Amino acid sequence: MDMLQFIGPASGLLFTLENIIWINLGVFIGSVFAAIPGLSVILCVILFLPVTYTMSAVPGMMFLLGIYCAGGYGGSVSAILINTPGTPHAAATMMDGHPLSQQGRTKAALKIALYASTFGGIFSALMLLFLGPQVAKISAKLGTAEYFMVCLFGMTIIAGVSGKSMIKGIIAACFGLLLSCVGSDPMTSYDRFTFGVSRLYLGLDLAVCLIGLFALVEIIAKAEKKHSELNMHASKISKDDGKITKDEYKRMVRPVVLSSLIGSMVGIVPGTGASEASWFSYNTAKNMSKHKEEFGKGSVEGIAAAEAANNAVTGATLIPLLTLGIPGDGVVAIMLSALMINGLNPGLSLFTTDGDIMYAIMLGLILVNIFMFIQGKFLTSLFAKVVAIPQQILTPIIVIFCFAGAYSVNNNYFDLSVALVFGLMAWLMRKLELPAVPVLLGMVLGNMTETNFRRALLISNGSPSIFFSSVFCWIFIGLIAIVVFSIIRSKIKETRAAKTATQEVSSNG
Amino acid sequence: MKDMIERVDTRLDCWGEKLSKKNIRYPADLVTGILFLVVSVVILMIMPQQVAISEKDVVNGREFPKLLMYVMMAASAVLILKEGYKIVTKKPLEMKTLNLLVEVKALIIMLILLGTYFIAKVTDLFVVGAVFCCLAFLVYFRCRKKSYYAITLTLAVAIWAAFRFILGVNF
Repeated sequence: MDMLQFIGPASGLLFTLENIIWINLGVFIGSVFAAIPGLSVILCVILFLPVTYTMSAVPGMMFLLGIYCAGGYGGSVSAILINTPGTPHAAATMMDGHPLSQQGRTKAALKIALYASTFGGIFSALMLLFLGPQVAKISAKLGTAEYFMVCLFGMTIIAGVSGKSMIKGIIAACFGLLLSCVGSDPMTSYDRFTFGVSRLYLGLDLAVCLIGLFALVEIIAKAEKKHSELNMHASKISKDDGKITKDEYKRMVRPVVLSSLIGSMVGIVPGTGASEASWFSYNTAKNMSKHKEEFGKGSVEGIAAAEAANNAVTGATLIPLLTLGIPGDGVVAIMLSALMINGLNPGLSLFTTDGDIMYAIMLGLILVNIFMFIQGKFLTSLFAKVVAIPQQILTPIIVIFCFAGAYSVNNNYFDLSVALVFGLMAWLMRKLELPAVPVLLGMVLGNMTETNFRRALLISNGSPSIFFSSVFCWIFIGLIAIVVFSIIRSKIKETRAAKTATQEVSSNG
Repeated sequence: MKDMIERVDTRLDCWGEKLSKKNIRYPADLVTGILFLVVSVVILMIMPQQVAISEKDVVNGREFPKLLMYVMMAASAVLILKEGYKIVTKKPLEMKTLNLLVEVKALIIMLILLGTYFIAKVTDLFVVGAVFCCLAFLVYFRCRKKSYYAITLTLAVAIWAAFRFILGVNF
């Protein structure tokens, strides 16, 4: 598995006009979506997933990666301009971005965010390029039982950190895995849970379900907002020169490098994402800074740390995805389906048999970040205007996109009804505080989990002892135990802290 | 016409204010536990009819969903027991509040979505559903700017045209 042997053919696959256009389109759309508060990167990827169905692997992935990476940066635009993070992970950027903007240095704040995001993104892409093939080598040693354990590990960690309650996360993950069972049995082709509906024989289409689960539910959630809350104040970039001083550049170096490293480390762990990375990096930068007093008041280090970290997650989340098939977060879970449609299955073969495609995608991630930088440099004022698009216009347009996207998957109205059912289901789940991400992960990993579970049992003639038979199995059992223990411990700590806070408030009152 | 719209708006505001004061509180964890316990039992009960298997199979197609339902059942039982313990020891339960105004508005949005779906399906013209969707949402938001109607309708037709003629989706 020599990297150099694939670089040549991969470059040939990557550097085409078609790919350059798709990357730029993805970066533009991702930046616009992330800049608008209320629209998320996951929503954007879901809406545009059907567009990639007719593409080959490289342009399709480049388009989605463009959206994903630009989404990391785009959220900072509204955070800096109107003190409302476009995406949840831009909340840490807002802490210092908006105060700096209020000091009349909006352009400088946006520039710092862009530079840090680009560095974080490229750092992460390099991590993927060098670390990915090594992890893939390890994944080649895993058998069916070990793979089942990997899936279980991924599901446990995601169920544990996705919502307030780990138990509810487990219920949601089981529900997602159950939904993945609808349709023909992957091993015998007998139909399961089709309830006599012939269209369900091929199973529930992931893109259609996600439109309901993540996009339509956001439309229904508009009911929670008052009409007056729906529109953001129109904002303009101030007329400052955007100059960053030499001293500020110097001060940015350490937090950017450190946060890129933190972001990459956090990104590798499934279930943790850009939000955790940006807050963790922000706090680390604050603790290590010689200018702690500036944090929260427009610190350049604060903006740089948060932005470098949330973009450093992008490449790192692809490491477990491409090597083990475990998506690091919801967005890359959707990308997994885009890969699989093109017959690319995660694991060592992806880095050997399909090495040229895989290296094209990994190199492409660097290219995506470069184009993100170029677009950010020249189009930020346009992204800033997008922030003020009225929700009255945006809402029906998103619905039409959702419906057109759902219809286009199989060219039938049945999929639209499935999307509507999932939208309603997601609304009810919100009412019960059940997280939606474990359902998504369950649906994505369902087939792989079940197939490995059943194959392992077939090998052992039905004996569950196979799941305890190898060192790798025990490593994953140990990891699952550590994860469960640490999640329970942190939840207990949170409950105690909340109790103490309540007692303090009542005793003061 | 303007007067009539004003009167309707005032009436709606009046209803909205009344509804916004009405809340329903429910124990979210307990309801989740009971609901998914019932779901898992029902799935286990219907499994023989819904999942066909061959007697020769060592590991058949029911094994995995059965395992999932047992895990779901156990997790639901833990939620119920946890909340049950709180009831017995008279500790406060995890309560969530439903606001009637929010739920009525959510229902209206759901009806707009359903309307869009049915109109598109019955007419077999996606663009008709898209136009209805735009108008319905603009009315829902009580939008009075004519320019918003023009922009939204133009965009709706443009999206349909892009999917129909560029991406080749037949609707």
